[in-house]
Amino acid sequence: MKKTHIATLLIIVISMGVIIAKIGDYSSFETFSMAQNAEGKEFHIVGELAKPEEMLYEPENDPNFFSFYMKDKAGEERKVVFKGAKPMDFERSEQIVLTGKMEEGDFHASKILMKCPSKYINDKLEVTEVTASGI
Amino acid sequence: MEIQYIGEQLIPGQIGRLSVVTAFVAALTATIAYFIATQRGISPSGNSWKRTARIAFFVHAAAVLGIILSLFYILLNHRFEYQYAWQHSSMELPMKYILSCFWEGQEGSFLLWSFWHVVLGFVLMARAKEWEAPVMTVLAVTQAFLGTMLLGLYLGDYRVGSNPFLLLRETMDAPIFARANYLDFITDGNGLNPLLQNYWMTIHPPTLFLGFAATLVPFAFVIAALWKNDYKGWISQTLSWSLFATMVLGVGILMGGAWAYESLTFGGFWAWDPVENASLVPWLTLAGGLHALLIYKHTGRALKLTFILLSLTFLLILYSTFLTRSGILGDTSVHSFTDLGMSGQLIFFMMFFVVLAALFLVMRWRIIPSVKEEEKLSSREFWLFIGALILTISAFQISFSTSIPVLNKFLSAFRVIPLFENLFEKDLAPPVNPEQHYNSIQIWVAIIIVCLTGTVQYMRYKSSEMKKVLKGLIVPLVAAVIISLLAIFSLEIYGIQYILLLFASLFAVFANVGYLITVLKGRINVGGASVAHVGFALIMLGSLISNLNQKVISINNQGIDFGASFDEKNKRENILLRKDDPVQMHDYLVTYIGDSVSGPNNYYKVLYQRIDKKTGGISEEFILYPNAQINPKMGLIANPDTRHYLRKDIFTHVTSVPDKKAQEESAGVFEPDTVAMKDTFFIAKAFVVLEGLEPNPPASSQYQPVDGDIAVAARLKLQTLNGETYLAKPVFVIRDRSVLAFEAEVKELNVTFRIERILPESDKLILGVKQQEAESDFIIMKAIIFPYINLLWLGCLVMAFGILISIVRRVREGKRSRKVLS
Repeated sequence: MKKTHIATLLIIVISMGVIIAKIGDYSSFETFSMAQNAEGKEFHIVGELAKPEEMLYEPENDPNFFSFYMKDKAGEERKVVFKGAKPMDFERSEQIVLTGKMEEGDFHASKILMKCPSKYINDKLEVTEVTASGI
Repeated sequence: MEIQYIGEQLIPGQIGRLSVVTAFVAALTATIAYFIATQRGISPSGNSWKRTARIAFFVHAAAVLGIILSLFYILLNHRFEYQYAWQHSSMELPMKYILSCFWEGQEGSFLLWSFWHVVLGFVLMARAKEWEAPVMTVLAVTQAFLGTMLLGLYLGDYRVGSNPFLLLRETMDAPIFARANYLDFITDGNGLNPLLQNYWMTIHPPTLFLGFAATLVPFAFVIAALWKNDYKGWISQTLSWSLFATMVLGVGILMGGAWAYESLTFGGFWAWDPVENASLVPWLTLAGGLHALLIYKHTGRALKLTFILLSLTFLLILYSTFLTRSGILGDTSVHSFTDLGMSGQLIFFMMFFVVLAALFLVMRWRIIPSVKEEEKLSSREFWLFIGALILTISAFQISFSTSIPVLNKFLSAFRVIPLFENLFEKDLAPPVNPEQHYNSIQIWVAIIIVCLTGTVQYMRYKSSEMKKVLKGLIVPLVAAVIISLLAIFSLEIYGIQYILLLFASLFAVFANVGYLITVLKGRINVGGASVAHVGFALIMLGSLISNLNQKVISINNQGIDFGASFDEKNKRENILLRKDDPVQMHDYLVTYIGDSVSGPNNYYKVLYQRIDKKTGGISEEFILYPNAQINPKMGLIANPDTRHYLRKDIFTHVTSVPDKKAQEESAGVFEPDTVAMKDTFFIAKAFVVLEGLEPNPPASSQYQPVDGDIAVAARLKLQTLNGETYLAKPVFVIRDRSVLAFEAEVKELNVTFRIERILPESDKLILGVKQQEAESDFIIMKAIIFPYINLLWLGCLVMAFGILISIVRRVREGKRSRKVLS
């Protein structure tokens, strides 16, 4: 066998090993109850905002504490705590993807990805109503 | 009945649509003609087919230009009857962003890509000589594919492409379109996404797409070489084109980084976002292919690897197009295009070229020339080969992790089979911490690659004297060790991988500079590679230090203590700054001193003052203007402002601001209260005594008496805690059988009174009290220091410059060898 072949094989084997070892980094999309069963482990959870009136963000007390309730795909509602500023327009979000873990019954999100309706996509037609005069 | 719409301009759209069809048909014609010309070779009939093909390509070019001009006309004149203009632009948009509107949509960005292919096509026609026909066949067929993306025709139920010239009324079903004068009501468009209203957005996409387009040329040469079974003549041209593509794509990618750093708020220039990865991966294989081509040019080895890597580069560009445009990244990336329902078409586009490349490679595999005897361990080609291989592996790893959403689609398809239904029950998600995931692997790749760039230049093709190589490397090694040690202690760099990368990058810088001076004797015109490698090492160095030592200085220490368990995750990186209330941050005293409005933007003035510890005086002072657009559609769009120093950047952006409109609204409520005569009650800053009622009060600023009024005023005495007194007289009037209440405001105390009712039987009043809160003016912001980030930008420029030197050299070389031949 040629040296280049040996080197190629070696590099491929090592890198395959590394990639497989790193598969553990991948997360999965779960529900709150699954996250509850594996408390402390990080997951992605998809859901939507529940009880908008219970949203708490008082920047004058603490600009890095934001909590709200989210309903996951299985319909379970949980309190979510986010240590950061409340994303603007959070109320309008249609879907939320959280990354984080369950701790003491609350979900501690480290990242929030929210999808708002009509981020410049086929919005409803915005029309200024003008009443015609003289007709 | 057909409605005769008023005010529509249909001509530009019709020209546009006609051009779309013409461009597609002409590209197909050019493909066929060039195909036949290639098959016939240099013969009278071959030449006449080539002429036909050129004419077809000229028609194609004119049509592409026609599409672009029509679309520009529509955007420039705000013709909102066209969906594209309505969706991507608005009246108030400054002229300089009309370009950004043009390529904000998928259609426009396909056009941009197509446009660059046309430009490159002309260059190829002028310079490719005997390679023109096969290379242009590949280019023309790509243009035909890109053309279909704009067709917007229906094949049965499947819509092929998305036409940018659709009228608004054709894309939307709304009652307004029943009116002939509907255009009178559509006064403004949807507007450009504020994130894209940035000067980077006007230069980053054209550069990146030129890079995309440029990767097609080496690919086309690969196909041409396999097709013509000629493995010599293509080398020189392909080398120049590969260098060009590496340069432009590299700069395009880093421009994207600069844009992210300057105007987005994820804090940094690279976030391993799928969209970023999708353009980095082809660059890695391209760099690998470029080096493999060098091996082949000098030793005749690694031809297969060259073919594979250069083809892979273009195929990965198509794959990245699929990833970013099919909507498949929806859950994992914030900035991919929106889905236009073209994923099937995109897959077909990609698969066509995968099959084409695979067919040619398989067909010729056995006759592709290779060298039988082994290369030496001390040869340059062996280590170039290793380097190319490692770049490929790196590309594979990034690609694999980025493709999780695609993997999910595959796996979910398998779950239908009974045997596999429990296999991978759940969808995989990307790594929780992508930075850490990619960095932990890619940093080792970077260390090896950077080391190789420093060492391999000192080696010779075929074999080199190890003593000589080592002799050349001693000085750079010693220099790198010394500087690394200094840097480790002064910058406090810990962690073996970081120390290694620091050392390796410094070594590469010194070794390449050393090579330029000692071996090339300063002849920079042949030292393009060394210069480019210095640039690459600087990029690595800049990203290492700025990422590792970036420091959030806006650490908040107010607020609730959440207990020790949160502290690790809870970095509390946002700080609240009340207006005119200074806060100490790192070395600076930071004060929010007010905001100003300019167009849709709100600029927040943040004063930074550095206090000299000895004298107590201010040694440095500057104001940053991070801005925010409170956008009705997207909420707060923050744009950072950065103070640049030679050695560091101070990066500041607002994360949240009080909603002033909501404050004003909530402040306007009267709270009713029942008060008896001589009663005392409290408001925020004072106590109030109802001293009595005054019938028929005189005229005041609010109340003008009218004959027949039955009027009563309440005398309210306000006493503040500072001992100031104010008088307020709200008036209650019965006029023409209706009740009127005239308010009395005490501006100094931000309070307004109003009599709601008089209760004569109990001698009491119902008094409405409205207290405006003192306007709370504050911002919540985040500030980060990025040290040595300028090394990164400098590295980018140096690398581009180095590659440019190489391009000039290779083009000249090509001309010379042509002369020798003829």
